[in-house]
Amino acid sequence: MKTRLLRSFLKPELVRVNISATCKREAILTLLNIVDDAGSLRDRDEAERVVFERERNMSTGLERGVAIPHGKTDSVDNLLVAIATKPDGLDFDSADGQPAKILVLTLSPAGRSGPHIRFMAEISRLLRDDVLRRRVVEAQSADEIVSLLTR
Amino acid sequence: MDYVRRQVPDKHGMYNGHVRPRSWSILAVVMVMIVLVPSAGAAQLGAGASGVSERMTHLMLQLAVILCVAKTAGYASERFLRIPAVLGELASGVIIGPYALGSVIGLFEHPELTEFPLSPELYGIATLASIVLLYLAGLETDLGMFLRYSVAGSLVGAGGVILSFVLGDLAAVWTGLANSVVSPAALFLGTISTATSVGITARILSERNKLDSPEGVTVLAGAVIDDVLGIVILAAVIGMARVMERGGNVEWLPILAVLGKALGFWVICTAVGLLIARRLGKILETFRSRQTMASISLGLALLLAGLSEKAGLAMIIGAYIMGLSFSRVDCAHVLRRHLEPVYHTLVSVFFCVMGMMVDVNALQSILLVGIVFSLIAIVAKVLGCAVPAMFAGFNLLGASRIGFGMLPRGEVALIVAGIGLSTGLITSDIFGVAIMMTLVTTGVAPLVMVRLYDDREGLRQRWAAARREAGRRRSICLTLPNVEIAEFLLSNVLEMFEAEECYVHQVFPGETLFQVRKDDISITLRREGATITLSCGDIDCEFARLVLLEALASLVKVFEGVREFEQTTDLRSQLQLG
Repeated sequence: MKTRLLRSFLKPELVRVNISATCKREAILTLLNIVDDAGSLRDRDEAERVVFERERNMSTGLERGVAIPHGKTDSVDNLLVAIATKPDGLDFDSADGQPAKILVLTLSPAGRSGPHIRFMAEISRLLRDDVLRRRVVEAQSADEIVSLLTR
Repeated sequence: MDYVRRQVPDKHGMYNGHVRPRSWSILAVVMVMIVLVPSAGAAQLGAGASGVSERMTHLMLQLAVILCVAKTAGYASERFLRIPAVLGELASGVIIGPYALGSVIGLFEHPELTEFPLSPELYGIATLASIVLLYLAGLETDLGMFLRYSVAGSLVGAGGVILSFVLGDLAAVWTGLANSVVSPAALFLGTISTATSVGITARILSERNKLDSPEGVTVLAGAVIDDVLGIVILAAVIGMARVMERGGNVEWLPILAVLGKALGFWVICTAVGLLIARRLGKILETFRSRQTMASISLGLALLLAGLSEKAGLAMIIGAYIMGLSFSRVDCAHVLRRHLEPVYHTLVSVFFCVMGMMVDVNALQSILLVGIVFSLIAIVAKVLGCAVPAMFAGFNLLGASRIGFGMLPRGEVALIVAGIGLSTGLITSDIFGVAIMMTLVTTGVAPLVMVRLYDDREGLRQRWAAARREAGRRRSICLTLPNVEIAEFLLSNVLEMFEAEECYVHQVFPGETLFQVRKDDISITLRREGATITLSCGDIDCEFARLVLLEALASLVKVFEGVREFEQTTDLRSQLQLG
């Protein structure tokens, strides 16, 4: 019941394991590329601007190595989510200072109501579980991550 | 019916319709209106009320008085007497109605001169109000929550409806208001007794932070079943009454045919409605303007209302079905939000007009009957709901909380009574009894409830332990540098909850306590001075925390913006130097 949103929005083709990015900026650009490559972005520059602006106001690095960069933008029609893992971790300017190992980019349409924060809450609540978080970081394929998060 | 009035502050921190008025000056304006407007109206009447423009002028003057008087009375009863606004609005209607002050000061013609106490124009507006009301009641239905608490809710709702209908119908015969249990009068009184109006209960529950208590959710889920069963019974009763009106005596074949037709219409329309609602919702969403979406949806509700009347049922049944169907679509909250101003205006007119139809001169003769009937209605609903609740894990205290929570009757009882009176199926005596029952039950319920709802446990021990395990509540406390920033942040937070399609409800006008709901999400927000406290169940904590975080981020953005602005243009000197 409590993974309803994850179930409807997670797609394996928007998930990458062990990305090569080494800093926050690169990581976010990688996530945006994942969405853009799938042909889901109307205006990539606009999406990039929104996400980085949100990041400038306050870092979206949560505790325990999870980061949730996000933005509301007209360049998407539906909620889109891209997930990337970085087992070595990268600095995301988190409040607890821990390097981010799981990165979740959420984009949803601006000017329209619908789940956005609710979606991020669902994934972040799930990732509070130490065992699950470790298994996601260690996952070797996109399908494995999706099945871990929607079980 | 469950339609909780919602208040959200706008950008200026004002509360829709509840800006604290200078009560005395408003009262003075109302008094002046009562005296001046009707005399103008009387002059119009004297000049010959048959012309369209004269009749419209008279209608506008009537509406002017009704709106000002009913709204003031409703506000005063809530604010000063601490009783539900509907009581004040109804009472104001009785006072300014054609049977009392109204005909004396020339606002209305004396009813003895006419067949029906109100002009068709005014009654038409009240009918429109009842359709909007039932449409919103349907739209507001929380089917998701109902399904989660469906067992206890169904038992409680069905128990209350069945016992109320049976006892109401029998009481009509016992008290001599009807001569047989299948006469239209008895059937109508039975139907009038069934419909719970849970809005008042919901308000008390949220004031005491008990909306998500086991008793609270059971009452809210029970109200869903109550609504549905009540509407089905109404459909059947109207059909039966019409058959008997024609035939004069009880013929079971046509009655069964009508019952079948009524149930058929209900089941088919609801099923089709729920099936195609999502598609209809998508079509509505292609209109970029939210106002347009809301108005068209109301148009569709009126359409189904008309069709259901054509099918031999009441118009409100169609309106309710359309609301129920749209309650599941994504844009439901947009529709609700944009129809709310219409609702708030019309509903007061509706209650006031219902009060106006009470024949005060006849009250004396029906007083005793009315009291007896009201007592029976109380016993029927409380027992009918409390006894099933005892089987659903509640102890005596919990069960009585549920029984009294389901007690208030309201708009639907009034609408049904109005339909009966306007179609001539019930007399004005019975109408008076119905109004009295509504007033008594709505008045008694809060008095008892405030005593019952405290911190004692309402569940039996075994259930209570299981619940304690499942639902601990947590608080998040945030202290901001000053009240202004806290207010700004709060309005941001509420906006964000709404953008997430949550339903935000201000618990009491003028106080900064809010309830946020969506499916099984239940979060309470309070601002005291510069401190914002948010409390929620364990499971919603992450959502609440992220919303606060986002609101804080947007606050940072605002501060950044202001700083940039100061650097590039000197706004202050621009303004100060003109």
